[in-house]
Amino acid sequence: MNRTAEKKEKTPKSWANTGNYLKRYWQLYALLALPMIYLVVFKYAPMVYIQIAFKKYSIVKSIWTQPLAKNFGFEYFIKAFSNNDFRYALKNTIVLNLLDLFFGFPAPILFALILNELCFKKFKRVVQTIAYMPHFLSWVIIYSLALQLLAPNAGLVNMVIKKMGFEAIPFLNDAFHWVGTYISFGVWQNFGWGSIVYLAAIAGINPELYEAASVDGAGRFRKIWHITLPGIKPTIVILLIMNLGNILGGGFDRPFAFQNNLVMKVADVIATYVYRVGIKGLQFSLTTAVGLFQSVVGVFFLLMANWISRKMGERGIW
Amino acid sequence: MKKKALCVLLASAMTLSIAACGDGGSNAKESGSVSNTISSDTPVGEVVEVSNDEFVNGKFTTTRHITVEVYDRGNDGGSDPTNNMYTDYIKKGMLEDHNVEVEFVKVPRWTEVEEINNLLASGSAPDICVTYSYPTIQTYADMGGVTDLSGYVTQYKSELPNLWNWLGDTNINWDRDPVTGNLWAVEAKLATSNRVVTFVRQDWLDKLGLKAPTTKQEFEDMLVAFDKNASTLLGKDADKMIPYSVSFDVGWRAATLIESFIDPDITDKEYYVNGFDDRKLTQNGTKEAVRLLNKWYNMGLLWDDFALYGSGDTSEDSFMKAGYVGAFTHNWDYPFRNGEDSINANLQRQVGADAKFVAVDCFEDKNGNYTKFVSGPIDRKVFFPSTNDEPLASMLYLDWISDPEHIKYLQIGDEGVTHQVLDSGAIQTMAATGNAIMNSGMNIDYTITCNGLNLGDDKLTALSKAYTYAANDPALVQTANTIAGTNLKIGKNVNVGAIEAEAGVGDTLSAKRDQAYDNAVVCAPEKFDEVWDAGIADYLSAGGQAIMDERAEKWAKYFSSDMLP
Repeated sequence: MNRTAEKKEKTPKSWANTGNYLKRYWQLYALLALPMIYLVVFKYAPMVYIQIAFKKYSIVKSIWTQPLAKNFGFEYFIKAFSNNDFRYALKNTIVLNLLDLFFGFPAPILFALILNELCFKKFKRVVQTIAYMPHFLSWVIIYSLALQLLAPNAGLVNMVIKKMGFEAIPFLNDAFHWVGTYISFGVWQNFGWGSIVYLAAIAGINPELYEAASVDGAGRFRKIWHITLPGIKPTIVILLIMNLGNILGGGFDRPFAFQNNLVMKVADVIATYVYRVGIKGLQFSLTTAVGLFQSVVGVFFLLMANWISRKMGERGIW
Repeated sequence: MKKKALCVLLASAMTLSIAACGDGGSNAKESGSVSNTISSDTPVGEVVEVSNDEFVNGKFTTTRHITVEVYDRGNDGGSDPTNNMYTDYIKKGMLEDHNVEVEFVKVPRWTEVEEINNLLASGSAPDICVTYSYPTIQTYADMGGVTDLSGYVTQYKSELPNLWNWLGDTNINWDRDPVTGNLWAVEAKLATSNRVVTFVRQDWLDKLGLKAPTTKQEFEDMLVAFDKNASTLLGKDADKMIPYSVSFDVGWRAATLIESFIDPDITDKEYYVNGFDDRKLTQNGTKEAVRLLNKWYNMGLLWDDFALYGSGDTSEDSFMKAGYVGAFTHNWDYPFRNGEDSINANLQRQVGADAKFVAVDCFEDKNGNYTKFVSGPIDRKVFFPSTNDEPLASMLYLDWISDPEHIKYLQIGDEGVTHQVLDSGAIQTMAATGNAIMNSGMNIDYTITCNGLNLGDDKLTALSKAYTYAANDPALVQTANTIAGTNLKIGKNVNVGAIEAEAGVGDTLSAKRDQAYDNAVVCAPEKFDEVWDAGIADYLSAGGQAIMDERAEKWAKYFSSDMLP
């Protein structure tokens, strides 16, 4: 929006002003309409169907005429929470997402800091491009790579390990190792792409600050600690908030691609549970209830993180 | 000011779009009620009448259009399952005989249940659907999403002579509800009872001077011998040796072993109560069978990575084709399937002329027999979703596809192209090319009411059976066929109506069952009991117990003894 225009007419007086305003800026709103329509059609309209969570679902009846489920519509919520699989999925979602946050969140920051300190521009660019690349691979492909590399019998890494006379490491078929593999591949896929935002933020820091620090005798690490990091702090906080909002969310592809029968106890997350039980098992009401629960908790985390960040004196997302 | 204007604009945009959604909702309501008139709201067996001037002498006066599901197996170099020599034959025939236009809709074979679910849920399922999963049909029937066929099969019986001749009362009414009389699906007929057989590499046995195993102990000794002599048998590829290959689907891929541990004199009741899972997870004896697999796994005799490769993955097949596998258990004709690309044909090309898998019977039960528990004469289940608005035309399709002439043509194709007639009169299948390639053995994907060779003449069928696998030695097929038919215990129809606990849990329980099997096979031997019991408990709590309880209860309601009459 045009800031100067906003300043000029701070107090609205009549609809005429609005008319004028719209006349002047209608193109902007027309542009805005497209994403708005997208949001409404694909994000808001489907929310009508949230009520499936409270109803006895039938594919042939309209959702408005479907009868309410038992226990004042909360039958499926009760069912979900008394279900072992759901509880495992809930626990796994939280654990895997926290581990992802713990290992995956600092990685792009560190990478951006390191890249920023490189003096060879060409080398920097090459490294950057290579680090971005995994982001564009789908998880199915990454998993096939993982399988080719890490399978206990036919995997390249394990073949080398076995040739050296050691036991094969069950990277993919033992719960503990699987979590490590899963998290590592997540970090690997995302750190390059994630660093872009930080690099942009670093580029926005006033170079005079660095010059002044040098004059004062600050070394490389001092400069990183006292200038670069505080400079990108708002960015870090915003991204952290968004990540926390996603603590019960997370994608479907990655756990789905990596799962196998031997590790389901630690690998089944809410997204894959919903797919398996809801879509494959036809229990639409149950899984809508689970999805709704997931979203509500997500919003709660988001609000809390936002609130904390504002208390700490940073800007929230709103 | 600007902000306020923006708010007003956005708010109005929102209201408008929500209003639009509301309209969509009411439309959905209408279409919902339309399908209701076809299914749930109608009394049992009611049919949509077709007036006499629309339907004359088995032919519609105006061309009708139906869609038919066909499996897509995604074979390398296969033909398009919706458009090839055989679909042309069907389309032409249906148009000429009944004035019905047929369109095929492909559904991936290995994820068929999920795919059918999605199609049904979105109301876009083909008019004629086929699936192996009856619980899926039952679930949709409960929601009013499936057409009741009971009226059609009886009222139009005279129009459906081939269907009644071929399937008979047994298969047509197999799933008829004993209380309500509803009929949600007809069962295709399994022309052969052959199920699962164990295969071993004959040339390896010969090289090591071993005889074909006839007991579990001999089988184990053979596996150990394969493992020990890996460098003799495989040379530089010795580390790729897999003495016994089992996939993630242990219940199927070790079926003969598991069945040998089940009490052959099990009562019908016990077998039925534990019978929801066709992989026999909870049958008596299964645990001991898996304990043996666990022992073999820990001796290094099984494929280490088996649990990592999911359904439809071809890695294991490639190991078999490349000659790394010593023995495996699978469908009775598995090494002969797909002509030039079959496992045995590949072995001969890649390993040597004498390399081949032969069938053996080596898992003896407590009586010393090789009892194999096979299902009744039923195969796929054919049903019409309630969105089918051409039920009569669809019934006629089922009749047409059950005509012995049509089955015969679809199974063997044209002489000189896909088969030749031998001096004995036997029909031998030839490897076809291009449009004439059959994506499934004997085109079972098109003969949806028939699985297994059926040439309309029992003698000819028996004579030709071994010759229907192009590029394979008929003698080997014959051996497998004989072994697959030894000591059969054929499943019976226990029709006690729908088991409510089975609705919607089929897929969850299959996944649980595979997890229980897989984890128990790979755990340390001293932990076996613990892991197995945990797996079973998990299976039971996920719905398995409820099914068993309801089955036992229904049994008690309909039968007085533990054996079927």
